[in-house]
Amino acid sequence: MPAAVETEELTKRYPKVEALRGVSLRIEQGEIFALLGPNGAGKTTWISIVCGLTRASSGHARVLEHDVARAPLDARRQLGLVPQEINFDPFFTPREVLRFQLGYYGLPPDEARIDEVLFALTLADKADVNARELSGGMKRRLLIAKALVHRPRVVFLDEPTAGVDVTLRRELWAYVRTLRAGGTTIVLTTHYLEEAEELADRVAVIDHGRLISLDRPSALLASHGRRQVLFTLGAPIDRALPEKLAALGVTVDASGTQLTCPLRASDLSTVLAEVAALPAPIVDMRTEQPSLEQVFLTLTGGRA
Amino acid sequence: MNPIGRRTLLKKEIHRFLRVPGQTLAQPVVTTSLYFLVFGFALGGSVREIDGVSYIRFIVPGLIMLAIIQNAFLNTSSSMFMMKVQGTVVDLLVAPLGTADLLIAFITAAVCRGLLVGSIVWLVAAVFTGFSIAHLGWVLVFATLVGITFGLFGLALAIWSDKFEQLNLIPTFVITPLTFLGGVFYSVSMLPKPWSTLTLANPILYMVEGLRYGLLGTAGSPPLVGLIVTGGFAIAAFALTWWMLATGYKLRS
Repeated sequence: MPAAVETEELTKRYPKVEALRGVSLRIEQGEIFALLGPNGAGKTTWISIVCGLTRASSGHARVLEHDVARAPLDARRQLGLVPQEINFDPFFTPREVLRFQLGYYGLPPDEARIDEVLFALTLADKADVNARELSGGMKRRLLIAKALVHRPRVVFLDEPTAGVDVTLRRELWAYVRTLRAGGTTIVLTTHYLEEAEELADRVAVIDHGRLISLDRPSALLASHGRRQVLFTLGAPIDRALPEKLAALGVTVDASGTQLTCPLRASDLSTVLAEVAALPAPIVDMRTEQPSLEQVFLTLTGGRA
Repeated sequence: MNPIGRRTLLKKEIHRFLRVPGQTLAQPVVTTSLYFLVFGFALGGSVREIDGVSYIRFIVPGLIMLAIIQNAFLNTSSSMFMMKVQGTVVDLLVAPLGTADLLIAFITAAVCRGLLVGSIVWLVAAVFTGFSIAHLGWVLVFATLVGITFGLFGLALAIWSDKFEQLNLIPTFVITPLTFLGGVFYSVSMLPKPWSTLTLANPILYMVEGLRYGLLGTAGSPPLVGLIVTGGFAIAAFALTWWMLATGYKLRS
């Protein structure tokens, strides 16, 4: 089966910055694929090249085997893009905008499809009001409706839930899963690591224009994530940590009251015993499960 | 090519200017009617005839040309620039619309608006000067060709402009002066040297004279010369705009 999206050694050089430095990725059909990376890492540049908004300096990008540089119209026919920035045309209503969108993709008017998308994105009651009158969240939903109305086989969601409230975010996630169940490939960039963890089949981490990691969320968590236990002491430790604790990898923060200990199952009793033996009382203790956030911060050196 | 996409964009562009008729249709009609009243009636008394035509009839082709130029230009320039500012240009850039699709749709809409406003101006003027047209064929050729040319220039300017100030640069400092000095309100033969010779370098003069020939049957320059000049400008504007869209100049980074 051909890849939904494939890029080979994709680079993009601007006069003062190299935004992409040879990113090769293969996204399979029917996947939910998340691109993570700090601001300016190159995620949007990558999406823009695949969607035809930016020209690559070198390398290749294909959407369902259509090269975006050599057969741009065939490639664009397959995709829908939800751009990062909210945009709207103040002259038209959501229904009109969706009619135009269908037409741009060479499709005849299809009111049933428009109603279906408006309903799915809870815009049905706003279908015939001017786009100016929509709230921020509604405008973002309209962007998503525009990207989906022509039934693209690959959908790019560039920060789709930025500034969207929790309820709507959950609704959108549910809709993304419905789309995937229907065979649509979803590629999303997000700042909400929870979003990637919840939705994505695979996650790519990009930093400084380079692909630094690519795997399933569970594999990333297993290889880079770590469980740790955090203690808050009632008084600061005024001397060096006992050797046994240092050997377990325990660190203390500048205040001298916060201890962080990477945790392996066999260590737990030893750690508890050693910390309890400290002169300062333990006033709080919590364990932290491995998260994509941890993985992300580890891989990008703490830049978010 | 994407015929449905092209038709859709054309429909959208026409809807856009019809949605604000006060601004796109009524305003130019009021402005040109005022020119007609002030220059034709109030001041026209002192210039009774030019080239055997009453002054009030003489200025009608120029006023129509003014309306076509301004409206065709404004339609593409404002639409493309607003799309860039609002970010909705992404919809067109990501859609499977080729260079020809985009050009045909934008320019046809610009010509429609130019011809619509031009026709309304003609109708208003005809109430006072009569409904006769000497050569309908030449009228349609010049009106359409000028609409295409300025629609193309408007599109090119909007693609190039990053700020409103730049968008206003060409209309304010080039098009309006050239139009007013292009024989709308006077005949070149009325100017002293060297102004009459300098005016011959103004391309808009030939467009106005071409339309004047079509409407009145008499003009200061032959219509074929006007056709060559206007056609040359249309080709130049077409080449520039095609290149911009095909290469993604200032649209695709």
